[in-house]
Amino acid sequence: MNTNTPQNWTEPSSRGQQGARLMVIAFAAWLMSLPLTIASGSVGVIVGTVAALFLIDSPRLRRRLQELRVAATVLAALLCALLLTLAGQLLARALRGGFGFELVGQQLINAGFDPLTPYALGEFIAYATLAAATLGLLRLTAQRSSAGQIGESLFVACAVVLTFAAHRNGMIDRPFLLGDFALIRGYDPAYLLMALGVAGLLVIAAVNLREASLVRRLYHLGMLSAACLLLVVFVQRVGLPLPELTNDLGLTAARGSEAPPDNPFQDSSNDPKDKAAPVAVVVFHDDYTPPDGSYYFRESAYSQFNGTRIDYATRADMDTDLLTGFDAQARAELGHATNPIAGAPRQSVRTTIGTLVPHRSLFGLDTPTAYRPIANPNATRFRTTYEASSAVPLFELEALLGREAGSANWSAEVREEYLKLPNDPRYHTLADSLTGQLNPAFSDDPFARAWVIKQYLDENGIYSLKNAHAAELDPAASFLFGDLTGYCVHFAFSAVYLYRSIGIPARVGVGYSVPASNRAGGSSLLIQAIHGHAWPEVYFEGLGWVIIDPAPQQTLVDMSTDPQDNLQQLLGDMLRDDASLDEFLAARAESEFDLMRLTRQALNLLLLAFAAAPMSGYAIKLQRRLAPRLGSSHARYRSGFRATLDRLADSGLSREFGESREAFAQRCGNCAPTMMTLTRAHLGAALSRKDNAAAAARADVLAPDWRSLENAVNDELRKAVPLWRRLLGALNPFSWLAAR
Amino acid sequence: MSLAQMPSTTAEAMSDTPTTAIAQSLPSARAVMRRLIDAVRTEVMGRDEVIELCVIALVADGHVLLEDFPGSGKTTLAKTLGEAIVDTQTPEPEAGVTSMPEISAFRRIQFTPDLLPSDVTGVPIFDPNDNSFHFRRGPLFAHVVLADEINRTSPKVQSAMLEAMGEKQITVDDTTYPLGELFFVIATQNPLDLAGTYPLPIPQLDRFLFKLKMDPIERDAELQVLNAHSPSSAKTRKAVPRISRTELLEARSTLAEMVEISPAIKTALVDISRALRSDPRVLQGNSTRSMVLLLPALQAAAALDDRDYVSAADIERLLPRVLGHRLVLAPAAGDCHTIICEVMAQPMEQLARSTLR
Repeated sequence: MNTNTPQNWTEPSSRGQQGARLMVIAFAAWLMSLPLTIASGSVGVIVGTVAALFLIDSPRLRRRLQELRVAATVLAALLCALLLTLAGQLLARALRGGFGFELVGQQLINAGFDPLTPYALGEFIAYATLAAATLGLLRLTAQRSSAGQIGESLFVACAVVLTFAAHRNGMIDRPFLLGDFALIRGYDPAYLLMALGVAGLLVIAAVNLREASLVRRLYHLGMLSAACLLLVVFVQRVGLPLPELTNDLGLTAARGSEAPPDNPFQDSSNDPKDKAAPVAVVVFHDDYTPPDGSYYFRESAYSQFNGTRIDYATRADMDTDLLTGFDAQARAELGHATNPIAGAPRQSVRTTIGTLVPHRSLFGLDTPTAYRPIANPNATRFRTTYEASSAVPLFELEALLGREAGSANWSAEVREEYLKLPNDPRYHTLADSLTGQLNPAFSDDPFARAWVIKQYLDENGIYSLKNAHAAELDPAASFLFGDLTGYCVHFAFSAVYLYRSIGIPARVGVGYSVPASNRAGGSSLLIQAIHGHAWPEVYFEGLGWVIIDPAPQQTLVDMSTDPQDNLQQLLGDMLRDDASLDEFLAARAESEFDLMRLTRQALNLLLLAFAAAPMSGYAIKLQRRLAPRLGSSHARYRSGFRATLDRLADSGLSREFGESREAFAQRCGNCAPTMMTLTRAHLGAALSRKDNAAAAARADVLAPDWRSLENAVNDELRKAVPLWRRLLGALNPFSWLAAR
Repeated sequence: MSLAQMPSTTAEAMSDTPTTAIAQSLPSARAVMRRLIDAVRTEVMGRDEVIELCVIALVADGHVLLEDFPGSGKTTLAKTLGEAIVDTQTPEPEAGVTSMPEISAFRRIQFTPDLLPSDVTGVPIFDPNDNSFHFRRGPLFAHVVLADEINRTSPKVQSAMLEAMGEKQITVDDTTYPLGELFFVIATQNPLDLAGTYPLPIPQLDRFLFKLKMDPIERDAELQVLNAHSPSSAKTRKAVPRISRTELLEARSTLAEMVEISPAIKTALVDISRALRSDPRVLQGNSTRSMVLLLPALQAAAALDDRDYVSAADIERLLPRVLGHRLVLAPAAGDCHTIICEVMAQPMEQLARSTLR
């Protein structure tokens, strides 16, 4: 077609095609850049993409590039990409003053911009060059060969898929612009992303498809959209992926199964795949800031000694404050705790909790007093939603001094259970030596003694997610009298054993601990997989269980996570399920032309048609195949011939446009020589005179044996065409369309 | 329904019905054409397609324009064709038609620029014995006329051919002399040697049913020609089978009557003509006459292929030869054959589909 272009080169696209491709690729690049950089970097990506694509598609440069060899072009492009990226990064660093000197005078920066500007500018340049180099190279390869165009399609698909992949871990806010837009309107952002991805892919494919005829192009696009549609149907049937189970500390459980908790000392149980994965969201209805800087959510506790370690209590009169389900009412024991007047400085706080992954049991802000189920505002997102009332501690640590450990209400047996520990004298020895250093004024005070032990762990313990104690009979002893390297479970168990060895009733609380700063001033709080925690707690008379959490000063792991403010706010809004918002949205939906609903209806219709099409195809096929037996005899010459043509089409033989029947029969001669005879008989019946009664009578008498002719063709086909080809044709519901 | 398939027992069973006579006359018409073709094939080798088309044109009452190089066997072809048709079997010599015996079987006219119309048509000559003019018939008074290098002569002579070819008569000095019923012209022209030629005007071209290009014959056929033409074999030439003119004329009328042209075929022809006329690459389309002339040719081709109906294959075979010299293409429009094939596709598709309706 274009004699100037080498054969393997793709043809230049029209302006409109270039524009469409540019928009889709720029969108994909922007989507990809969102989690990587700040706003200016994303703008840089768009600018770089547009510039690169524009340059490479421009006719002048295209002609230049034509003269180069393939390898040289790719090498040069790679080199260019590398150099450009490097230059961009260097310039950005220089601008930020990363080399000890400033490209732009510090005074000028200070005078002209705020300190953020060079950073933003650096990001802009770095990402613009990176995008220009990468996407320019992609475009170049796509120009070079039609196979290279797969790269562009893959890029678009990858951009959407990568963004999509974050959703699998519960990061449904990515990107926030799309997620927020969709969720406000009550739609799942995953579908929006999927639609955008499919649309982008189709546009790119449409632009890059260079088939000779419009029909073939439409055919290929149709096949591609059918595949995409299948994907959408599949997702709708199977559902969206859930966040993976994090199962740290046995807090979360496999869906629907009440699996017993694993040994909390096992490393694997404390190794979440994605530590930032959200597991639950909490909405506060009352204002509360914890005095010690962390929100503790208690789910259960290890309190009863089972011979090797302390475990969940089996006695009904132990841990009476722990709620096991919605039916449990506030415990009598906590009566005073929930009532501030009783002297205990606790405050009642109401929270709504939505879990994003299945949990073993309910949990609430320390100390939960009642759970009440509420309607799930978004069943695809939240596993369970409930309201938790808690009596949160308000007291400062000084208030604990001078209080009796243990409750007067406990029976002697219960008190004894809370004091049991492994038969290892070293606990008592260590605890004794630690408390021995106390100021004599406090030497008998339970809190002071507990605090000394906590401080010992703080100063000497090393926090690490990897440890060598899991296989020991008593991992806590191995930890405490060994390398003192372990994670929260080790610290908690060690502390509890130490407390118990000196007569302080203690247990290990299990749940989540979230830094108060994570709330970032909003009313919702996101609990992530990394927040799973275990801590020692001591019962003080009149106060209840008080958390005394060791905080090791040395740590080998980075336990910090990126703040997920957007996701936190988004999930909080979803959970809050504001009635007024619903009303507002409903009112707007009524008054407004709802494009999304119409689109959904149209999509449903399309799906229906898509499903009905093969069925009707088979029906028509069957009708055409049976017509010679069922139809009238004077149409026999037509129906029989058509059935034979259908059989030929099933075998992959069909008449070309404009080809005469004889020429087609000639072409079929290799497979089915009798086809020529049948064709001539058919044409004779169709084209010779029918008006003349005598001739019609003669035709009737001389009518060939249609059945035997057709059977002969059929037999020949059966011999000549391989079975798989015929089977494939028989399964194709639309093969009769090719039989003309 | 094809004739080949007609079971003989059935044909015999039907022999008492009045249609039988006609039904049997179609195979005989076909036999006449076959015999004629075989007769020419004994003399002209490797030109089977051209021979068949010439016979089809002869039976269809059309004329043929051959575009070829000297020495490609066109004279032999025309001569053999003319000689194969004899009037010895003519049963009743009509007294009224005095000119009949004077029409020879075959004449050849070599056209040159200085040729005059009277050289072709004939001229009245004064006879001093009875003081009157007698018309001396020119070479056009023949059943088969070979008009060699027809584009070498002046338009005046060419136009003299017009009346003869169109109306089968020659008018000289207000006297009209009829030509034979089987008047058949094979004209030739050299496609390359164009210096000093008078290209045939469109109306003249329109008189020719086919314009045939003769490609060089195949190697084996050419060898055969050389072997057959050795002086020794020239003597021992076996007598060619002959066909009487009456047989030929009967065959012509039988074909016209017996071979069915379905309305779908006619529709396709008209559609093709209309599509060609509206095609921007075609300055002037084909005339309606060309389609009228084509019909008997289609019938002849169908009969030659053992059919009693005209089908798409006949159109595909004949239409390019009929239209090739009738279309006037726009400058740089491309190949005439390609354009015809492209334009034909849609109506032919319609035609093919019509058989299933």
